[in-house]
Amino acid sequence: MAKGYNDPAMEKKFQDRYYHAADNPEFTKEVERIGRTMAHMCYQCGTCTGSCPSAPRSSYRIRKFVRRAVMGLEREALTDPDLWLCTTCYSCTDRCPRGIAPTDIIMAMRNLAFKWDIVPRNFLKTIQLIYTTGHGVPNNDVNRAARVKLGLDAEPETTHKYPEFLPGIQKIMDHYKMKENADRILSEGEH
Amino acid sequence: MHNGMHEYAFFLGCIAPNRYPGCEAAAIKTSRNVGIELLPLKGASCCPAPGAFGAVDLSVWYAMAARNIILAEEMGKDIALICNGCYKSIYEVNERLKEHDDLRDQVNEVLAEVDMEFKGTIDVYHLAELYYDPKICGVEKIRESVVRPLDGTKIAVHYGCHLLKPIKERRFTDAENPMWIEELVDALGAESVQYRNKMQCCGAGGGVRGFDLAHSLDITNEKLINVTEAGADAITEVCPFCQLQYDRGQIEIKEKFGIEWNIPVLHYNELLGLAQGMSPQELALDLHGIDCKPFLDKIL
Amino acid sequence: MAEEKKQPRIGVFVCHCGTNIAGSLDVKAVQDYARTLPGVIVADEYQYMCSTPGQKKIDDAIKEHDLTGIVVAACSPRLHEPTFRTATKEGGLNPFRFEMANIREQNSWVHMHDYEGATDKAKDAVRIAVAKAALLEDLYPKSVPVEHAAMVVGAGVGGIQAALDLASAGIKTYLIEKTPTIGGRMSQLDKTFPTLDCSQCILTPKMVDVGRHPNIELHTYTEVEAVEGYIGNFDITLRKKARGVMTPTEATAKGIVGGGCNGCGDCDAVCPVIKPNPFEFGMKPRKAIYIYHPQVVPLIYTIDFDSCVKCGLCVEACGEKKAIDLNMEDSFETVKVGTVILATGYDMFPIEKKREWGYKQFDNVITSLEFERLICASGPTGGHLIRPSDGATPKKVAFVLCAGSRDNTGVGKPYCSRFCCMYSLKHAHQITEKIPGCQAYIFYMDIRSFGKMYEEFYYRIQDEGTKFIRGRVANILEDAKTKNLHVYAEDTLLGQPVDMVVDMVVLAAAVEPTQNIDPVRKMFGVSCSQDGWMLEAHPKLNPCGTTTAGVFLAGVCQGPKDIPDTVAQAEGAASAASIPIHMGKVELEPYFAQCIEEKCAGCGMCTNLCPYSALDLVEKNGRTVMQVTEAKCKGCGTCGGFCPGGAIYMQHFTTPQIVAQIDAFLLGGEQ
Repeated sequence: MAKGYNDPAMEKKFQDRYYHAADNPEFTKEVERIGRTMAHMCYQCGTCTGSCPSAPRSSYRIRKFVRRAVMGLEREALTDPDLWLCTTCYSCTDRCPRGIAPTDIIMAMRNLAFKWDIVPRNFLKTIQLIYTTGHGVPNNDVNRAARVKLGLDAEPETTHKYPEFLPGIQKIMDHYKMKENADRILSEGEH
Repeated sequence: MHNGMHEYAFFLGCIAPNRYPGCEAAAIKTSRNVGIELLPLKGASCCPAPGAFGAVDLSVWYAMAARNIILAEEMGKDIALICNGCYKSIYEVNERLKEHDDLRDQVNEVLAEVDMEFKGTIDVYHLAELYYDPKICGVEKIRESVVRPLDGTKIAVHYGCHLLKPIKERRFTDAENPMWIEELVDALGAESVQYRNKMQCCGAGGGVRGFDLAHSLDITNEKLINVTEAGADAITEVCPFCQLQYDRGQIEIKEKFGIEWNIPVLHYNELLGLAQGMSPQELALDLHGIDCKPFLDKIL
Repeated sequence: MAEEKKQPRIGVFVCHCGTNIAGSLDVKAVQDYARTLPGVIVADEYQYMCSTPGQKKIDDAIKEHDLTGIVVAACSPRLHEPTFRTATKEGGLNPFRFEMANIREQNSWVHMHDYEGATDKAKDAVRIAVAKAALLEDLYPKSVPVEHAAMVVGAGVGGIQAALDLASAGIKTYLIEKTPTIGGRMSQLDKTFPTLDCSQCILTPKMVDVGRHPNIELHTYTEVEAVEGYIGNFDITLRKKARGVMTPTEATAKGIVGGGCNGCGDCDAVCPVIKPNPFEFGMKPRKAIYIYHPQVVPLIYTIDFDSCVKCGLCVEACGEKKAIDLNMEDSFETVKVGTVILATGYDMFPIEKKREWGYKQFDNVITSLEFERLICASGPTGGHLIRPSDGATPKKVAFVLCAGSRDNTGVGKPYCSRFCCMYSLKHAHQITEKIPGCQAYIFYMDIRSFGKMYEEFYYRIQDEGTKFIRGRVANILEDAKTKNLHVYAEDTLLGQPVDMVVDMVVLAAAVEPTQNIDPVRKMFGVSCSQDGWMLEAHPKLNPCGTTTAGVFLAGVCQGPKDIPDTVAQAEGAASAASIPIHMGKVELEPYFAQCIEEKCAGCGMCTNLCPYSALDLVEKNGRTVMQVTEAKCKGCGTCGGFCPGGAIYMQHFTTPQIVAQIDAFLLGGEQ
C-alpha cells in the first residue's frame, strides 16, 4: 500500500510489513527440487537453529530461512546477507526430526541467488581459480620448493602437472556458463 | 590387493598438496607402512570445494566431482583421500549418482561432451576410516607401526563436519560422540583428551572463511578456548581445510582479536608420520603457521 | 438336503452410492448390461441400496419376481454384506443366496479417471457375481455355545478395570499378569494429572478388589503360552512361571497346614543376592527373593531363579510356613474362555538411541518414569528429587518434550505419545511445589493439553512459575566437572539460540508397545497397525474390537492414551466382551468344508493339512471317512483345494461356483 506521504523517510518508516499471501509457490518448488529435500514438512521446532554454530554469533537463523522457503518469500530469503553465514556443518540436517536437510535448502537458495547475480565475491574468485588452474587453492612457489625438499614433484599429480586435463574441466564449467557469469558479476562490482 | 598391499587411487584435493605437502608425503609413507599403497590419480582437480562451488551451482559440482571419480574408475581403483571436504564431494556424489538415475543421467549428459561416463564402479574412503577398519589395517596395526610413541602428549581430536554428517548418508553410525579417531590417536602412544563441544564445526566451511573471516574465526576461537581448557598440547584433525582454519586462523585471531593461542595443529597423517619415525623436515612442519616445536619437544 | 433345482432367477441391484460410484462409472449402463446376463430376471439401480427404501427393493423384487438369488453391485461386503443378507432374508430367501460385487473400493474409488474402463470393469464384476449367484444354495449358520468365562491379559489399570467390570457382570474372569504383581505403570506413578491424586492411592482399592473378587481368578507371574479355538471357545494354555514361593492355597494343596507365603519378608532379610529392582528402574536394589514394593497384589514373594544361588537361607528363614520350593518348575494350565481382552500396556522407547540427548551417557539425564520414581514418596529416595551424580537437590531442571516422538528420522517414533505434555506439566508442578526455589523449564514444540481440565492445568502450571521455551532441544552436553548439563535449543518465539545450564534434565521419552508382545498378539490373531500398536477393528467405530471375533483391546496397547481414556476403553472392551457371553451363543458363518462321503477314500491327508485341526477320520457305516468339526472350520479351503478325490466341498465357495465365476469372466463379456 503506497501511503503517498511527502516525506520519504516517513514513507519508509511506516511501510506495510504484512505479508499478504504465500508469495511465490514456484520458489518453494525450486528450492525443494535443487535441494532434494521436503522443505514444506517443516514444523518450525527450532532444532536446526539450536544446533547451528553461526546462530549464537550473528542474526543468522536457519529456521527462518526454511520458513521463507516454505512460505515462498523469495525476496526476503535471497537478499538476506545472512544466507552466506552457513558453514554447511550439517548438524541441523543430522538432527531434524522431520528428516529435512536445512543445509541443502541453504545451498539451493544460494544457487537461486546466483541466478539473481547475488553472490559474495570470494565464491566467484574460487570459480575463476578452478577454471584457470583446476584448483580452488592453487600451488605457489614457496610450496613448490617445499614439495621438492620433501622428495615430491614440484607439481602434484593433478591438473597442475597435467594441464591437458584443463580444457575438459573448462568445457564442463562452460556448459553451465559458470565462468561467464562469474566474470560478469565480478566486473560489475556487484555483491 | 597387489603384492599384499591394499591399493587405492590417492585423491589429493587442493590444500594438502598446495599448502601442507607434508600431509601428502606423510600419507603415502605412513600408509605404506601399514599395508596401504596410495597410487597417483592423474589429472584430478579440485574436488570441487563443496561449500564454495556447490553454493554457486550444484549441477556443476556433481559434474566436476563425477569427473574426478571417473579418473579412478578408469584406473579400476577405489579412491582414498585425506580431506573431509573432498570426502563430501567425492564420496557423497559417488553414492548419490549410483542411487539416483535422474542425477546420473543429468551428469552423464554433460560429461559426454568430454567423452566421459560415470559408471559407478568404485568406492570412496577417507584414509582415517581405512586405518580404523580391521579388514584393511586396524588400530592394532597402527599401534604396531609406531617406533616413536608420542608419550606424554595430550591431543584434542577435531573430527570436522563432512566426515560424519549427514549421518544417514555416511557409513558411520554416530556423529554425536564418536571415539574412533581418539582410538587411533591413543594407538600412537598419545593421550586423547575430551573437551567441551568437541563435535562443533571449525567455522571455515560453506565459503564462510572467505565471506566473513572474522565470523569464521570467532567459531574457531570458541574451539581453541575449549581445547585449551581441557589441557591439550595439540589439535589433530583429518581435514586440511580445518587445519588451515586452525593453523593460519590462530595467526589471524592474533591480528584481528589480539588473542594469542600457539596450539600446534597436526593432521592425523602428520602425527602418524612422527610416530612412525618421520622427522619434522620430512613432514614440512616448518610450513605450519603455528610453531610445532612445543609439541615436538615432548616427543623427540 | 435335497431341494428342488429351480432355474436360476437372479435380481441385480446396482448402487450409485451417491457420487462415490455413479461419479466414476456409468451405473445405468451396468444395469442395462445386467439385464442381458443369463438368469437375470430383473435389474434395478438406486442411489443408496443400503438405505431402507433400497433394501425394500430387494424384499419386493424377491416376492414379485419369485427370485432365487440376489446380486448387489455396491461397496465392499465388509461393510454391507450383513445388511443385504438380512434384506434377502426379509424377502423370504435364505440369506446366503446373496452375492455382492464390489464396484466401489475395488473399482470406482481407484479408477476415478477412467470412466469407460471402470464401467467395463463393473460389468465384469456383475457378470462374475451373477454366475455365482445362479449356483448359490441355502445355508444355515451354526450356533455354538459360548463359555461363560473371559480372560484379560495384562493387569495394569486397563486390565484391572476390564476384569472388575466382567466379574461384576457375573462372568468368571481370568486375569493374567506377567510380572509378579498387578498395577502396571499406574502403580509406578507418583501423582496423576490433572487432579494430582496420588496414583497408588486411587489404584490400590481397585487392586485389592481384584484380589478379593470371587469371580476373578488372578494369575500373576504368568504368561500366555498357546491359544487354540475361536470365539466362545478359546482354549488358552497359561505358563505359570516358577515363582519358587507357594501361596497359602498352593501350600494347603500340598498338605502344609497353615503354610504358604504371608509376605512377612523374613526371607528377604537373609538373601545374599542383590539385584536392581526393575520397578524402580534399577535405582533401588532387591534381593533374589523379592516383592517390587510393599503394596503388591498378591502379597507373595517371587524368586528370580536367574540370580538365585540356591543357598537355602530363605527356606530356613521361612520356617514353619514352608512357603519356599527352590525346585519349583514352570507349570502349565489350560483354561476355556469365551472372549479375551488384551491390555498389555507399553514400555518406554530406548531413548539412548537418540544420542544427541545423552541418556545413559550423562548421569543427570533421566527419563520421565525415572523421575516419577524419584519424586514418589515410596520411591528409592523417599520422594526427594536428587541428582544421580552427586545426590544434590537440583535447582534448575529442564524438561525435554517430544523426545523420540513426532520423529521421522527412522530412529524415533513418528507418532505423538499423547500424555507426555501433560505429565511434564505435572512434573514441573511437583518440583515447583516440593523444592522451593527450584525452577522448571519446559522445552516444547506444542503443549497438547486436550482433555477435561487439561488446559486449566496448563494455565495453573504456567501461573505457578514454570518457564516455557518453544524450541525442541537440539542437543545436550555435560560439564565434565560439575556434571551439569548444557541444553541447546532455539527459543523460536524470540528467535534466539539458547544454551541453558541446568542441574538435571528429564526426557519425556516416547512410548512403544511392550517388549516382545508380538508373539502374544499373534497368538490371538491380532494385527498391528503401521505404528506398531495393536490394530483395532475400526479406528472410529470399533476401537475396542479387533478383526478376530471375541478378542478385544483395552488401554495403551491399542495406542497411547492417558488413564481416563484407558479406563473408558477398558469398560468398553468389557461391555463388548460380555455380550457373546451373556447371549450364551454365537453364530458362525457357514463357510465350512463338508465331506462327500461317497467319494472319500479315507486317506486322511487332509486332516494333517488343516491349520485349525478341524478334520478327523471317523468310522461310518463300515468305512473310514473324514468328518468336519464345523465349529473349528474357518473355511480356508486348504483341504478342499487339496483333496485328490474331489471329496471335499467348500460351502459357499464350491468348485462349480468358482469355475462358473472364472468362466464368466474369461468367456463372457460383451463381444
